[in-house]
Order: sequence, then C-alpha cells, then structure tokens
Amino acid sequence: MRNRAAHNASGTVIEVEDLHKDYGDIAAVDGITFSVDPGETYGLLGPNGAGKTTIMRMLVGLSPATSGTIAVAGINVVKDNRAVRELTGVVTQHDGLDGGLTVFQNLFLYGFLAGLSRARAKERAHEVLEFFGLRDRSKANVYELSGGMKRRLAIARSMMTSPSVIVMDEPTTGLDPQSRNRVWEELAELKDAGVTVLLSTHYMEEATILCDRLSIMDHGKILDEGTPDQMIERHAPPEVAQLRVAPAALRNVREYLTGRNITFREVGALVSVTGANGDRPDLSGLAGEEGVRTSYRAGNLEDVFLAITGRELRDG
Amino acid sequence: MNISIPTPGIRRRSVSGIWLRHAVSFLRYWKFVITWVIIEPVVVLVAVGLGIGKLVTEVEGADSYAEFVTPGLIMGSAMFHALFETSWNAYNRIDNDVYETALTTPITVTEITLGDILWAVTRAMMTTIGVAVFAAILGWLNGWSAIGILIPAVMVGAMFGTMGFLFAAVAPHTTFLTLVFTLVATPLYFFSGAFFPISILPDWVEPIAWAMPLTAGVHVARGFALGSFDITHLWAAIYIVLLTAIMWPAAIYLLRRRLIK
Repeated sequence: MRNRAAHNASGTVIEVEDLHKDYGDIAAVDGITFSVDPGETYGLLGPNGAGKTTIMRMLVGLSPATSGTIAVAGINVVKDNRAVRELTGVVTQHDGLDGGLTVFQNLFLYGFLAGLSRARAKERAHEVLEFFGLRDRSKANVYELSGGMKRRLAIARSMMTSPSVIVMDEPTTGLDPQSRNRVWEELAELKDAGVTVLLSTHYMEEATILCDRLSIMDHGKILDEGTPDQMIERHAPPEVAQLRVAPAALRNVREYLTGRNITFREVGALVSVTGANGDRPDLSGLAGEEGVRTSYRAGNLEDVFLAITGRELRDG
Repeated sequence: MNISIPTPGIRRRSVSGIWLRHAVSFLRYWKFVITWVIIEPVVVLVAVGLGIGKLVTEVEGADSYAEFVTPGLIMGSAMFHALFETSWNAYNRIDNDVYETALTTPITVTEITLGDILWAVTRAMMTTIGVAVFAAILGWLNGWSAIGILIPAVMVGAMFGTMGFLFAAVAPHTTFLTLVFTLVATPLYFFSGAFFPISILPDWVEPIAWAMPLTAGVHVARGFALGSFDITHLWAAIYIVLLTAIMWPAAIYLLRRRLIK
C-alpha cells in the first residue's frame, strides 16, 4: 500500500485559505485557513455543527464554496474539482455503501468508476479486502455487516485507487471501542505508507492518537492549531482531579468547591477539577467524604476545548 | 454569491461505470425483476388481447384488436420501467448516498443522469423484447415489426428515464413518488391511444391526449407494428426528442441542486 505523496511547489498537499460557506444567513464555515503537509495526518476537532463536514465536502467538490480558495496537490478545487477527486480518496460520514451490491461489488464498481480497468479493479478489490481483513465477507450483502465492518469497508473503498490523499469525515463515530481500535490501527498503517490524511472527529482521544497536528473548531472557525501536545500545553492544566460522586454527596462537593473558589465542571456523576495555575487543588476536605472517590489524570484535548470555548466537546 | 461548479466534458467511462453498477445489481435480483419486465405485461397483453379482443371486432388500421393493442401495451410497459428506474430507484440511490459516493470519484452529476437514463433505456428494451417476442409467437406482431419497435422503445425509455429524475430529485420522501404513478404513468397509460384510437375521444380531449408524451411513442410503435407510416410518425418522433431534450437539463439541474449543496 505504498503511495507516492503528491505535493506542489510549496510542499503542502492541502491548502485552504479564508474559506467561507454560507447557508442563507448562517455562516457554516466562517473564514478557515489551514494547510496539510505530505504524509501528515491532520485533524479538525470540534463538536457537531462546527463546520467540519462542510469543509470536507467543499474539499472534494461535493459542496461549492461561497468564497475562499482550496488547493489539493496544487490543483484549484473550485476550478477543477474532478481532477482533485482523481487523486483523493474520500470517506463520507455515512459510509454510502451500495445496498444493491455485495461487499466485493461495492469495491470493484467504485474502482471501475474511479478509472481503474476492470481487471485492475478486481485485483485491487482483493488487495484491499485482504488488507482490511474483510476477505471472508467478500460475497456478503452490505446490510449483513456490523457497523465496524461497514466503516472499514468505506475506508477500504477509498483506498481502491491507491490515493496519496485521503479525506475522512468522522472515521469512527458510532463504533464500539473494539472496532474503533481496529480502524485506528489500519489508519496508522496508511500513515506509515505515506498517505496524507485529513480527518474530522469529535473524539479527543482519536485526535490525540492519530493526528500529527490539529485544529480546534467551533461555530465555523478555527480557534487554535498545533500538535496535540502543544495544544494541551497551551490550554490545559497539567493535571486534572476527577471526583466520582454519589448523588447523595453531590451537594456537599459543590459547596466545598465553590467555597474555595476551585473551578470545576460536571459531566454526569463525574466532577472534573482543573485547579488554579496548574497547582494541585486542595481537595483534602473531601478526603473523608462518603461517596466521593478521587483520582488524577493528565490534561487532555477535552480540557483544551473547554478552556478555549467554555463548553464541553461532547455537548454536541 | 456562490461560486458555481463548472461542468467538464462528459466521459464515456463514467457513464458506463454507472450503467455497469445497475447491470450488476440487476443480475443479482433478475429472477424477481423479470416477473415485472416480462410476465406482468404478457399477462395484461393476453387478457386484453383475448378478452377485449373478443368484444372489439373492428378497429381502424389493424386486422384485429390484439394487433392494435400490442404496440400500445409494449410502450406502456417501457414507460413504466423507465419511469420507475429514475424515480423510485433513483430516489433510493439519493437517499442511501449511492450517488454521493459515486460523486467522490471523478464523475459528474451529468454523467450520473446519462448512466441512469441509459439503464432506463436498457430496461425499456428488455420489456419490449420480452413482450414483442411473446406477441410474435401469438401472431400479433410480425418478426420485422418486433425488431422495429425497439426504436420507439429506446425513445420512450430515454424520455421517461429523463422525466423520472424530475420527481426523484425533488421528492421529500418515497410517498411523494406515488404521484409519478397516480398523476403521470396511469393516466398516460390509458389515454395515450394504447387501448383505443384517440380519434374516438370527444373533440376537446383529443388535443390533450395527443400532447401526452406516451401518445407519440405509441403512435410511432404502432407505425412499426402495422407497417404503415406517414408524416405524423415523424412529428411524433421529433416531439419525443424535443421533450427529452428539454427535460434533460432540468433533470441535471434538479439533481445537482439535491446532491451538491
């Protein structure tokens, strides 16, 4: 699965500049600028409705941009989106598998449509089925597959033409942890093979594991950009205390934290305490409290998102 | 202002790729589809030809009612199949993101419509061949007519294959597509001169019946079936081509609006 990395004179594979997309009065994408280097995995991290999908669709010509420029491997997407689709693999949000066809036929016909000869499309379909461990499902109907298999088939399909660039809209949304791990492993292998990947996600764990660099997006804008480590260093506390609180003890815990001016947030029964200035907050008063279990974890992209937007990433 | 996406030239590979997808899918389910392609229209033909044919002893230009009704029923079946393909089936392809996936390869909406219309024509030809062969065996259609009738079948297939998109591309749900059959296919089927000559309709209905798209197809097909042509057959053929040429850009426009937003 080795691929030649496509890039233009300036060395970037994807170059997006001041991109806008309006739907009526609503600015779905509101002045986005970023670029992706060859072989890099770049993430757009943000909640639903942040504009991630719209950017992905504009990138391959499935949606016309209101203004701004997009270049993929030096090709202007606005002028020639067909040429861009010739060298880009695309994984859309909803798999888009063809229920009228078998697993193998889905791959074969996609490859043929994408320009492979019939013989080559067949050969290549066998190759990607092998790579994605789907060979024994080759003759299955699409609807017989599990959610994880469908997702992997959609990714396999995008590999039919051995593209040097893959655009992936939420590769693992809705998958169980096991399937998610499997997809992550396969994406890591693609990265090893030199494929440039642009992905969108609202899973901070996914962004942390897969992305070399990422943008945090909200309301159609990029709020900050960097490597996952840089982002955490910039915006998240080094350590976060997590209190697992029984319903009966919740009031006491809130009063204790508010009384000491300790910032915290609640997600379900989990209270995260970010502390001030990166110091470990004084939670000694809660040590003996019935129904409270305390643990510490490192700051993560979830904390980064909260720090920048004041909202939870998972709010949606 | 939106920057419009330019339409590059049409590639034969893309059109044949779409057609091949439909052919492969058809071959998986052909045992079921064939009942509608051949068995259903043959049942109607035999029932009408033998049953009503007994009651009708005289019909203009034909030796028997069965000979008269055969080309009409064949065109009606061609219409149903072409319409169904690009309304109902195309709607499902919109809804299940089959077109969206296709559009992630280097193909265009224009090529999708062409591939689908080509498949609609293929289906119209399948039903035409199936029923025509059967009618020829019964002696209701002679051999050369059975071949000649493929020409109007292709035209009717292309016309209704194009028309189906006008519904599929704007349909909010599948129930909406019921209109294709209640408002279009069924009235056309019965008022297009398939079952009786339009000349027996009241004077004020006649021009309306002639304006209906299937009427022209039935007229051309009957020319082939009965082996007699005059200038009206040429006008009918031109009418079909014109209607198709007008509907095609509209189909592309509506489908693009639906898929690319």
